Amino acid sequence: MKNLDPKRARWIRIRMGILCGMMGLGLGVIVSGAHRIQVEDGQDWYDLAERQRQRRLHVTPKRGTIYDRNGASLAESVEVPSISLDAVELLRGIEDRYLPMRIQQYGERIAQALNLPQEEVVDKISRRRRFVWLKRRVSEAEVAAVRALGEKNQRYPLRGLQIEGEGHRFYPNRELGGPLIGFVSPDGEGREGLELALDHELRGKSSEVRGLRDRSGRLIFSEGIEDEAALAGHNVYLTIDKGIQFTAERELEAAMKTYEATGGAVVVVDPSSGEILAMASAPGYNPNDYSVADPDARRNRCVVDRFEPGSTMKVFSIGTALAARSVNPTASIYCEEGNMAIDNVVIHDTHPAKYLSVTQILSLSSNIGTAKIALGLGEQRLYEGMRRFGFGDTTGIPFPGESMGVLRPRGRPWVSVETAAASFGQGISVTTLQLTMAMAAIANGGKLLEPVLIKRVTDGGGTMLSETQPRVRREAVSPTVAKLMSEMLVAVTEGEGTGVEAAIPGFRVAGKTGTAQKIDPATGRYTDTHYVASFAGFVPADKPRLVIAVVLDEPLGGTYGGGSVAAPVFRRIGEMALRYLGVTPRGSVPMKLSEVSDRAKVGDPATSTYQVLTEARAAVAPITAGVVTPSAPMKSGETRVPDLTGQPVREAIRAATAAGLTPTAFGTGRLSRVEPPAGTVLPKGSAVKLFFEPSS
Amino acid sequence: MSSSAVLSGNHAIGERRHSSAPPPRNRLLPPSDPPPAPPKNEARAPRKDSAQGGVAALLRSSKAGPVDSVLAAVVIALVGFGVVMVYSASAIEATVKYHDAQFFLKRQGVYALVALFTMWLVSRFDYRKLKPFTYPILVAVTLMLGLTILGLGHKAGNAYRWIAIGPVHIQPAETAKLGIVLWLAYSLSKKADKIKSFSIGFLPHLIVVGALIMLLLKQPDFGSAVVLLFLTFTLLFVAGARLPYIAAFTALLGMGAAALVAFSDYRYRRYLAFIDMDNHRQDLAYQPFQSVMSFGSGGWTGLGLGKGLQVLYLPEAHTDFISAIIGEELGFLGILGLVTAYLIIVSRGVKIALEAHDDYGSFMAFGIATLFGVQALVNLAVAMAILPTKGLTLPFMSYGGSSLLVNAAGAGILLSISRPRTNEVPQDKPAPVRTSEGAPSASVLIATEAQVDAWGSGSPAASSAPNPKGAAAAEGASA
Repeated sequence: MKNLDPKRARWIRIRMGILCGMMGLGLGVIVSGAHRIQVEDGQDWYDLAERQRQRRLHVTPKRGTIYDRNGASLAESVEVPSISLDAVELLRGIEDRYLPMRIQQYGERIAQALNLPQEEVVDKISRRRRFVWLKRRVSEAEVAAVRALGEKNQRYPLRGLQIEGEGHRFYPNRELGGPLIGFVSPDGEGREGLELALDHELRGKSSEVRGLRDRSGRLIFSEGIEDEAALAGHNVYLTIDKGIQFTAERELEAAMKTYEATGGAVVVVDPSSGEILAMASAPGYNPNDYSVADPDARRNRCVVDRFEPGSTMKVFSIGTALAARSVNPTASIYCEEGNMAIDNVVIHDTHPAKYLSVTQILSLSSNIGTAKIALGLGEQRLYEGMRRFGFGDTTGIPFPGESMGVLRPRGRPWVSVETAAASFGQGISVTTLQLTMAMAAIANGGKLLEPVLIKRVTDGGGTMLSETQPRVRREAVSPTVAKLMSEMLVAVTEGEGTGVEAAIPGFRVAGKTGTAQKIDPATGRYTDTHYVASFAGFVPADKPRLVIAVVLDEPLGGTYGGGSVAAPVFRRIGEMALRYLGVTPRGSVPMKLSEVSDRAKVGDPATSTYQVLTEARAAVAPITAGVVTPSAPMKSGETRVPDLTGQPVREAIRAATAAGLTPTAFGTGRLSRVEPPAGTVLPKGSAVKLFFEPSS
Repeated sequence: MSSSAVLSGNHAIGERRHSSAPPPRNRLLPPSDPPPAPPKNEARAPRKDSAQGGVAALLRSSKAGPVDSVLAAVVIALVGFGVVMVYSASAIEATVKYHDAQFFLKRQGVYALVALFTMWLVSRFDYRKLKPFTYPILVAVTLMLGLTILGLGHKAGNAYRWIAIGPVHIQPAETAKLGIVLWLAYSLSKKADKIKSFSIGFLPHLIVVGALIMLLLKQPDFGSAVVLLFLTFTLLFVAGARLPYIAAFTALLGMGAAALVAFSDYRYRRYLAFIDMDNHRQDLAYQPFQSVMSFGSGGWTGLGLGKGLQVLYLPEAHTDFISAIIGEELGFLGILGLVTAYLIIVSRGVKIALEAHDDYGSFMAFGIATLFGVQALVNLAVAMAILPTKGLTLPFMSYGGSSLLVNAAGAGILLSISRPRTNEVPQDKPAPVRTSEGAPSASVLIATEAQVDAWGSGSPAASSAPNPKGAAAAEGASA
């Protein structure tokens, strides 16, 4: 500033100095601010930023499939796309005055793409949430429409729309085994039944993968999902046989309708392994639509409900007495001609008699005879005997809410009348499963087994993780006593026994009927109108393959006896199951010629005689209806891929499952293609892929 | 000193070009050298002949002392560092948007080279010859600003801030800042003592600046408007305008700005969001909040270059918010380094202003130094959410050609002013001033020795460089 006079130049310099001082002040603010933000609060900001970007990816693995013992799927998860919306992202950068207009516009476009009411979409956008489901389980066409909305080449591409695959639980057999299998909530948690009990197996490792997401929620990169199969839920193979389960449910349903019962339960067990082949509970429900089902129908009555068993308990009272040698199997017991007073209570018999053998006491179901044997045995030994058969204790089945039953409801040893009542199954309560397992112990040479419901567990890749082996809990009675008991129980279904309705032609059936009076909850006394009818037994008696227990709650209409209500259900299930299992009658069952001719009188004599004789031989009758002659030879254990083109998802999966295949569904709509193609012969349980396409 | 070596080398090239192709290129001559101008001293005439050599001659005419090498070095280092940081901050966005991680890096690299070349070119140019360009620049800037708001602007975000000429996007606001400094320096130095008067010294400047500010607010570019106003008051204050005027006007404008904020729904909501940031993290205060988050994440030493992750969340990370990324990746120490660099630039600028040859250069140097300093301060303050979001770039660092080019040109002018000079551009202030000034400095003494030769050969090139080569070249040119 040599051109200025020094005085002015000095002033200018001073003023510059002042301004420099101000800027220096600003510098101080910046440096101290940086120190505060970075050094003092740095860690907090870092943590906050870390939380923001390391939005943990909750990788929900595919839930495992539940199969029956033959590999037919009972419950499986299908990936179905769902659309969610990040409304904040959608509306970012829009000026406030344009907001209402834009929300309407966007709402209209989204609503069109997803076939939703526009008001609903607009409402969801207006709430400006970072996450809201727009529509779950959408079709391929809707997915394509949503994709198109976000395309960059659009004039106004919409941001914030996300398409996610969501696991949807699907029960291909609908009602089959509903109360047993249970259901899964929409967020993938097992809620009832086996879905709840096996949740830890089925759900898999819902691992948290640390991923990095940018501000629009896009995944930039992640640590990587090491092995999706390792994270996937385990597949569970039940011991349930779909075929037997189906029969059990059908017959139980039919009996319930016929006798107007309020509920019913059937358990079918393989006595040699303790494996449960069927577990039916009525009324049932369809777990695909669990939300509309009556909560009462969701209960698995076989395990959860306890009831007074009635006469079926006589088997175990007498078995215990025989094992304790307090009664001689050949003894004759005076049965008071139908009326006996113990303390101040009078016990009645339905078949009044003077002297009855032990076998007759069972076959005629004499309360007095049983009571006398029990009183001879003593309270303590009867109680212990029942405990040995597994009553009053959990069976060890992995099922939620199992009831233990109650032997001593007052928590003290029985008085005489209670001992007598308990011996014929009143005043105590048991579950259907307990009853079945106790009967299976008789069938299995006296050894009480733990019920097995889960045959094996495999991981997502099919590697076996665990296989359940039969487990003997204890020896309830000796093999000799068990054998003796089975012989006695055969008498129940023969001749003038109470359980003749349970007899299966060609087989010797051992079993026991039960008709228990129920306590009226209003009065606290036994009623004459409400009964529990039951039948528990096994077949064939000499080498048992099936133990079946049938319980019907409150059958009405005059018929309430276990022999007339429950025994036929036993017979029908047993008949079918034996045929299904390929059990042929061992040895010939003598059949009188007159009986044959009697029964053959119906219809054409030649045909009906043949039928009766076939039935008598219990040969596997050739099924003629509904069998398609295969064009390629099939061995047993093989199946053919059916032609299901054009079928909707549920039908196709059901049909493929029925054919003994394990279907996996892709896409939605109608079946377009099957892999391997229809007509291929495959071993049962093989996987087939079903590809669906939306119908145009 | 490498810079001076380079300068002289290029100078020689320019000479060669001149000698091989000497067509008359008078058009390139600044109007400051009108042929009919009366030669006020004998040095003028021969130089006019040589000036016909065009650019080369122009450059030579500025050949005074060496430039401020510290300032040049820091600016070059900052520009280079800026390219690195732009790459670090933009790689992900570039990959996502353009499928080319180096998309912004390549462009910023080219801008940086052009900017440094511009700086070199401008530093060769005698700043005093800028005077005649003052009004054309001011008019051009005003026109460009007018064009942006007339709908020719290129929209980005909600503001029309760019003029698109083919692939080139120019941001007139950036040029306006430098333009206003040039004009104020010229006008204030011309008015000299009359600055104290309201009608002559104060009001005209405010009217011109006010018009530009109105245009900027129309864009809207609130930040640039504030910077423009601040520069104006700064230079008015420095030049000696009366403090009460400035204070009164500041108060008036402060109220005006408050009213602007209060009556513009958009601004008022942003202001509320800024005040209550915690509740507006996801919407209006998203950007400042993310900025502080990334700034703070760095801690003492930062996450390391290229390891910052907030670029995923921080919009405009490579432009206005590059300082937040620097804070994240290089930490407090990195910010200290950055602040030091700006401190050096500003203090060298102020030093240049204090030592400038004349008041025009002084005002200009101080204005440019303030421009750098204020923009850097405001940008850092915005990144730390001390101030609300303004949309101001970080000088020399942020991505963007306009900003880089304009700031480099400003740095070039600073460098040009920094050259020690003994002679005058004899336009307004002739010889008397030189005599009025005090004893010559040591460098001047050395220079005069060299000048003896120059004068001896009749060259008025006024080369004060102690470089005999330069003198020889000057001789050659005049021959």
